[in-house]
Amino acid sequence: MKTKGTTEPRIVVIPCSGIGKSYGSVSREAGFVVTEDLRPDQTQLVALSLLVLGDQDSRTAVATQPCITLDGCKLACAEKMVQQSGGRIAKSFSVLDVFRRHRDHKPKGIAELNQGGLDLARAMADEIVAAIDELKSLPPFGSNELSSQVPPATDPQVNHA
Amino acid sequence: MDMFLETTFEKFTFRVAVDCYYNPEGVWSRPEEELIRIGLSDFLQQRSGDVAFVETAQSGITLSVGDDVAIIETIKVNISLPSPIAGKVVEVNPSLGNAPENINQDPYGDGWIALIQPIDWEADRARLLNAQSYLALIQVKIEEER
Repeated sequence: MKTKGTTEPRIVVIPCSGIGKSYGSVSREAGFVVTEDLRPDQTQLVALSLLVLGDQDSRTAVATQPCITLDGCKLACAEKMVQQSGGRIAKSFSVLDVFRRHRDHKPKGIAELNQGGLDLARAMADEIVAAIDELKSLPPFGSNELSSQVPPATDPQVNHA
Repeated sequence: MDMFLETTFEKFTFRVAVDCYYNPEGVWSRPEEELIRIGLSDFLQQRSGDVAFVETAQSGITLSVGDDVAIIETIKVNISLPSPIAGKVVEVNPSLGNAPENINQDPYGDGWIALIQPIDWEADRARLLNAQSYLALIQVKIEEER
């Protein structure tokens, strides 16, 4: 988990971990573009696998800061796991919905996305950034309102994440 | 009330509506008074994946059996749907442009594709599979792919 020396609450970005599917790869690529390139000082990436494992730092992050989930398919593993971890989802994104708005960006490939997949990830990242800017402009952002009790870690119950 | 036959393979359950007739490609036809409503079977939609885009034949055109009645782009494949019957397209599902996911969520209901005025429904029906035969075909396909 990345932190960069600021006390301002960061928006937590959680991509799905849909291995073996191009759309899952697009969600992760979009997450990297946002957290590493476009809004590195306002966001942090949390790996879904850590939430599934019950990692306490990850659970604390999603329970105390606004979350944006990125899912590659309708199973919505990221969204469900964040909810199950006591997280507060500010916005959920689906790669398929973004693709419907950008039909020319057809993703292919898994370990290595084609140009269409990279373009789709960038388009998704732009939509995520717009959501981040909107969230940052809201009064509750940074207040204690988003603080909550972090639920205790339990055995993972989502096997397909 | 909708009635279905079902077959389950691993975590997937495929439903077959008993009030429909099917072509081997998985397009169903349901008589509704003088018209025939058509759409994708549950098996076909599940095997094809989440639907991203649907392009349907235009209302008013006349289709022969096997002509493309729709082209569907999913996250996995692009598929052309052959019309199971001959006739004039009198209506296409207007919801599919904004909500193509209806095909996945309700393949025998809100996800219908088109309404067709048949030229010779009895002749077409004789070539199609009833629900029991289509279910058997699904089971053969599943076995072949094991």
